[in-house]
Amino acid sequence: MTTGCILQIALLLCFSITALSRSFNLLQFQQRSTNLECQRLMMKLSGTPESCLNNRTNFEVPKEIEQPRQFQKEDAVLVIHDMLLQIFEIFGKNLSHTGWNETIIENLRSELSDQIDRLKAILDENTEEENPTWENSTTMLWHLRNYYTRIVQYLNAKSYSSCAWTVVWTEIYRNFSFISTLTDYLQN
Amino acid sequence: MKMVLSQNASAIRPLNLYPWVYISLVFGASLALPDKACTFKVALQNFQTIFSWELKNHSIVPTHYTLWYTIMSKYEDMKIVEDCTNITRLFCDLTGLWDNMPETYIPRVVGFKGNTVLVSCIDSVFLPMNMTLEPPDFEIVGSADHINVIVKFPSRAPKTIDVERLQHHFYLIIEQRSEEMVKKHKPRINGNITGDFIYVMDKLIPNTNYCVSIYFEPKNLGTITKSPLKCALLPGQEPESSESAKIGGIITAFLIATVFISSVVTLKRTGYLCLRLDLPSALNFSNRPTRIFLELPPLEAVDTVEVIYVSRKKKVWDYNYDESDSEEEATPTTSAGGYTRHGLILQPLTQASTSSPDSEESQFTDPDVDEPDLPEDEAEPLLVPGPRAEQSEPASGPCERRASPLQDPFSKKDSSATEGSEDRIIFNVNLNSVFVQALDDDGDVSPMLPEETVDLEDPSEMESSFLIAREDGMPPPFPSPSEECLGSEDASSEESDTSESDADIRDGYIMR
Repeated sequence: MTTGCILQIALLLCFSITALSRSFNLLQFQQRSTNLECQRLMMKLSGTPESCLNNRTNFEVPKEIEQPRQFQKEDAVLVIHDMLLQIFEIFGKNLSHTGWNETIIENLRSELSDQIDRLKAILDENTEEENPTWENSTTMLWHLRNYYTRIVQYLNAKSYSSCAWTVVWTEIYRNFSFISTLTDYLQN
Repeated sequence: MKMVLSQNASAIRPLNLYPWVYISLVFGASLALPDKACTFKVALQNFQTIFSWELKNHSIVPTHYTLWYTIMSKYEDMKIVEDCTNITRLFCDLTGLWDNMPETYIPRVVGFKGNTVLVSCIDSVFLPMNMTLEPPDFEIVGSADHINVIVKFPSRAPKTIDVERLQHHFYLIIEQRSEEMVKKHKPRINGNITGDFIYVMDKLIPNTNYCVSIYFEPKNLGTITKSPLKCALLPGQEPESSESAKIGGIITAFLIATVFISSVVTLKRTGYLCLRLDLPSALNFSNRPTRIFLELPPLEAVDTVEVIYVSRKKKVWDYNYDESDSEEEATPTTSAGGYTRHGLILQPLTQASTSSPDSEESQFTDPDVDEPDLPEDEAEPLLVPGPRAEQSEPASGPCERRASPLQDPFSKKDSSATEGSEDRIIFNVNLNSVFVQALDDDGDVSPMLPEETVDLEDPSEMESSFLIAREDGMPPPFPSPSEECLGSEDASSEESDTSESDADIRDGYIMR
C-alpha cells in the first residue's frame, strides 16, 4: 500500500515537472513568434529616422535590460510582460500625426495583448511560489517603469509629432531586440 | 534602406570641404531630401561588421569616399570614421564601432572627385534587421564516427570579437546533412575568440557521406545566408568497432531485460499486476501426456460368439396356464400375448473366426447338433430377437444389413439353413440388439439389456407396433430400414422408458 502511494506520488511529480517545463518551452516559442510578428508589423510603419535627427533623445534604457545577465526564467517572464504591457499602452496614444495605418496599429496591439495574456497566466501560476530574486525584479521593474514614463513624457513634450513618433518608433524597435534576448532565458 | 542623395557638390576648395560636409550632415536631415542615389549594405563577415555602399547612378564616379555616422538612441553629432576617410574602396570595416546590435545607425557617405563633393548619401541602418549575417569560413575533417568542424575566425582581428554578445542576437548554426536527414547544431561559444573554433559532431554512422553547412540564424527579422556545403565520406567501421557494437548490444539487451523484469516485479508488488502461479487443477497439464488428446475414443467392444440353436422352444410367458409344456414344445410359434424364447448356446468361435475386425454379427448355430441334451434351464434361449432392437447404430450401413439377416429365427427353422443341417442354423446377430442370458454354472441368469431405439418421430406407428405385438403374441414386425434409421439416442431412451411399462421382466428377461 505504501509502495503504491509512493509510486503514484512520484509519477504525479514527474508529470507535473514535465508539464511545467513544457509550458515554459511553449511560452518561449510563442514569445519568439510574437517578437517576429511585432517587428514585421512595425516595419510596415513608414518612418525616416535620418530626417528626425534633431528630435533624438536618450531615453536611458535600464542597463539590466540592455545587457542582461543571468536572468531567472520567472524574472524574464515578469520583465517581458511589463515591457509588452507598456508598449501596448504607448501605441494606444495619440497617433494622429503619424499617418500610420490604423489597421497595422490594431494588429500590433492585438498581437501584444495575446502574448500579455499568456505571460499573465504563467505569472499567476508562479505567484504562490517564493522567488528569491523577487527584490531584484522589483528594482528592475521600477527602472523599467521610469524608462517608459520618459518615453511618454517625451511624446507629450513633442505634442505627439511625427518625428517624435519616429524617434519613439526606433526606440520601441530596440525594445523588441531586448525582448528577444530576454526570451532566451525562458528556456529551461 | 532609404537613401538620400545630396548632389550639391560643387567646386569647393579642399580646405573648405569638410566643414561644409559637416554642416550639411547636421542640418541636411531636416531639409527636403532628394531621391536616394545610394544603396547601403551592412554585413557580418567573419564576425567583422562590413559596411558597403553602391551608387545607383553609375555616371557619377567619385574618386574617393569619406564615411560619417551617428546613432538614433541619443543625440550625438556625426562622427567621421578615421579608417574610412578619403578611401577609394566602396566598403568600410566598422568592427568595434557598430557593435551595438539593437542600435539604429545613421551613416552618411560623401563621394569626392578631387576636392569636389559629387555625392552624399544618408540613411538609417537597424543592425538586427539590415545586417546580413554571412557564414564564416570553415573546414571539416571526417573521422570514423565524428566530424571536426573548424570555424575560422579572423586571424588578425583588429579587435577581439565579443561573440558572446553577438550571440544575443543570432545563433551560430552548424547544419548536418546526411541523405534526406538534416540536423542542426547550435554550439554555444563562450568568451572572446581570436582563433579557430572547433566543434565536434559525434555519433555519426561510418561509411556515410555527410555534408556540413554553417550559417547564422537571426533571432529577429533578418535573412539567412547559408554557406556552400562541404561534404566528407566517413571511413568504414573497423572490426573492433563491430565487436564493441555487439558488446554494446548485449549490454543494452541485458539492461532492457533488467528494466522490464524490475518493472513487472514492481507492478506486481504494488498490485497493479496480478500473476497466479497456483493454477487450478483443471488447468494443470503437467502430469498428463499430450497424446491423450490424440487417442480416439474406444470402439464398442464386439465379441464374436457362436450361438447354437436349440430346437426346443419354451413359451416364456402366456396367459393360458392350462397348456402343457409339451404343446409349447410342439408348437414353435408362441401364442398370442407371449414371447417365445429361443434356446441358444453360446460358444466362442475360433481365433480365426474372431479376427475379423468388422464382424459385428454373431453366428447362430443349432444347439441340437452340438449339445442336444442340454437341460431346459441350461438350454434357456439366450436370444430373443427384439423387433426393434437392432437400431442401436444410427448409421445407414448397419441398418441395411439388419433388414435381411435379422429375421425371426422361427421363420428360418423350417426352411433350409444357410449353413449346416436342418437342426442347426448359423446366422449372425448383433449382440447389441438382443437379450443375451449367459449360462452360468450356478444357474444364475444375468440379463443383458440391449439398447432399443424406435422412431419417435412417428408416435402413432410406435404405438401401433405395440398393439400388433399384443394381438398376435408375436414381436411386431421389423420396421422398415428407413424408419429404423430415423431413430435417435434421445428417442431410444424415451422408448426404453415407455417399453418398460409394457415389458415384463421375468427371470432376467425383458418381454416386450
